[in-house]
Amino acid sequence: MENNIDRALADAAGIQLMTHVVAGYPNLDVNADLIRLMALRGVKLIEIQIPFTDPLADGPTIMRANQAALDQGVTPRHCFELCAALSRELPEVAFLFMTYANIPFAMGQGAFMAKARQSGASGLILPDLSWDESDGDYAGAAREHGLHPVMVISPDTQSPRLDAILSRASGLLYTTLKVGITGAGASLDQTGVDYVRNLKKKAGLPIAAGFGISSPEHVRMLDGLADVAVIGSHIINLMDTSGLGAVDEFLAACGE
Amino acid sequence: MSRISDMLPRHFGPYGGRYVPEMLVPALEELEQGYLKYKDDPEFTAELTDLYQNYCGRPTPLYYAENLTRELGGCKIYLKLEGLAHTGAHKINNALGQALLAKRLGKTKVIAETGAGQHGLASATVAARFGLECKVFMGEVDVRRQYPNVYAMKLLGAEVVPVTDGTRTLKDAVNATLKYWIQNLKNTHYILGSALGPFPYPVMVRDFQSVIGREARAQIMEREGRLPSHLVACVGGGSNSIGLFHPFLNDPGIRFHGAEAGGRGPAIGDNAARFGGSPKIGIVQGYKSYFLQDESGQLQNTHSVSAGLDYAGVGPELAWLYDQNIVEFSPITDVKALDAFKRMTRLEGIIPALESSHAVARAIELAPTLPKDEIMIVNISGRGDKDIFITAMELDRENWIAFLENEVRHGK
Repeated sequence: MENNIDRALADAAGIQLMTHVVAGYPNLDVNADLIRLMALRGVKLIEIQIPFTDPLADGPTIMRANQAALDQGVTPRHCFELCAALSRELPEVAFLFMTYANIPFAMGQGAFMAKARQSGASGLILPDLSWDESDGDYAGAAREHGLHPVMVISPDTQSPRLDAILSRASGLLYTTLKVGITGAGASLDQTGVDYVRNLKKKAGLPIAAGFGISSPEHVRMLDGLADVAVIGSHIINLMDTSGLGAVDEFLAACGE
Repeated sequence: MSRISDMLPRHFGPYGGRYVPEMLVPALEELEQGYLKYKDDPEFTAELTDLYQNYCGRPTPLYYAENLTRELGGCKIYLKLEGLAHTGAHKINNALGQALLAKRLGKTKVIAETGAGQHGLASATVAARFGLECKVFMGEVDVRRQYPNVYAMKLLGAEVVPVTDGTRTLKDAVNATLKYWIQNLKNTHYILGSALGPFPYPVMVRDFQSVIGREARAQIMEREGRLPSHLVACVGGGSNSIGLFHPFLNDPGIRFHGAEAGGRGPAIGDNAARFGGSPKIGIVQGYKSYFLQDESGQLQNTHSVSAGLDYAGVGPELAWLYDQNIVEFSPITDVKALDAFKRMTRLEGIIPALESSHAVARAIELAPTLPKDEIMIVNISGRGDKDIFITAMELDRENWIAFLENEVRHGK
């Protein structure tokens, strides 16, 4: 299976970034500019979140962005169009659609996956589409559509569930980590570090880690541990308070 | 997976299930195993029964509504008076059961969502009783329209957290509570207030609420020596209705009626009638069921004069009973509910909650069409004191505003 996620990670030197945009926030044109800027700064993995009214796994920043996008009338169709345009323009970037179970369910899972693939996406992140529900076991179907099912776990995810997830996951496995705050800088908590080490051995898959990364230091702390650092709400916060220039500076600093 | 977990239904037909981010699964599995362990444990059930009797005032009366029956001229109408339970509504049945379970699971904190405030009030009450720390998440819109309950929760020692996301009503309070739980799993139990959400909540809440139907069944057999032919309840998420209905589901020849919020009318956003137009299935808030949603799968805004019915989803077991034509749902408009509220108050000296007034309105539609020898039980799920700010504004506006102004002016 030819897939940009595999390509982005196969020839990767050091830790890669996976960034996040909420389609339609602040609007679709700024999304396009933001994605171009990310690609220019060497980001090879970009999540496009299809906004949803009830985003169960998102914190306040991304939740508000979802609502603001919906208030402007953004639909899944706009998100597919955004991805299609940008994936043609930036053929080396791996785009992943992130959203919640009801969006593919309303469209029909097969139709959703076909559209995601047609618009140039390489993977799906669907945190509440549980693999242990009969219609949530979408990993095989995703692969048939040329999409990696990127499953989201946490250090509490242990065997036997972890084994079941590993048997389904491909391309990239996404885990959350906990951070302990010590003095001025944040440090990774040891449980999280051990978890990712073991996971890397066990999974045989690239590991993406996210924990509210908000500084280039955080990214460097993950280097050598995880393959990918996920940066979500921090980019929205930067954009809201200081504009695209601040996002650009931040990504440049992460790449140093 | 242990074999014992097969005893709790995870699905109702195609509905229900557990559609949640993986990080929530360990907590739900712990709850599932804990509930399995204690639900038939003699000490647990004895403690719960004792609290039901001596703390809640159970059994609640099954009252023959003679005047209403005479005026409508149809079947005999009995009222199950859940409003006489401690804290004024059926919500305490479930809150007590879950608090007892939380204690046994070693939890020190409880969290809850609330719409009308009745479940929040019940949760704050049991938290006070069992020495548990309590946070109640409540949509900002509901905080405004149900302030008397907010005050009571604070009085009981709970922290009330206004939810400012989305539509700022019940569904957003559920999201906020689930998110808080994800971040505080270790010592916290989530007392979910309705028979919905991810497994095992739908079955656990139904079981705790089934005390309503078990009592009603015994009471009607004692009074009439036979079963009713019609059961009526209002349906928001559906906990009072499934609690009344469930113990009767295996009896032949009973019709089950659910009264939904018809709101201002059938237009999108004006009601919470999930079964009103062309019902649509979805996967939201951890479970599969019918949801009011647009063609993309976005939940729609809802409206009801009663905060407790103002919710876009419905419990998965009720969804399955709807598919099988066992429960029939009807939308009741705000206007009809308020009419029923007035009629019940005047005829029987019982002030029902606005939620329950929807059930009364459905009973008023049905009873005249039914033979005199048939029996109907209507669940008066709560009493109407909490709605005084809404009903007074609707029914006695000028005097009420004058009173409020006077209170503000001279209250200090």
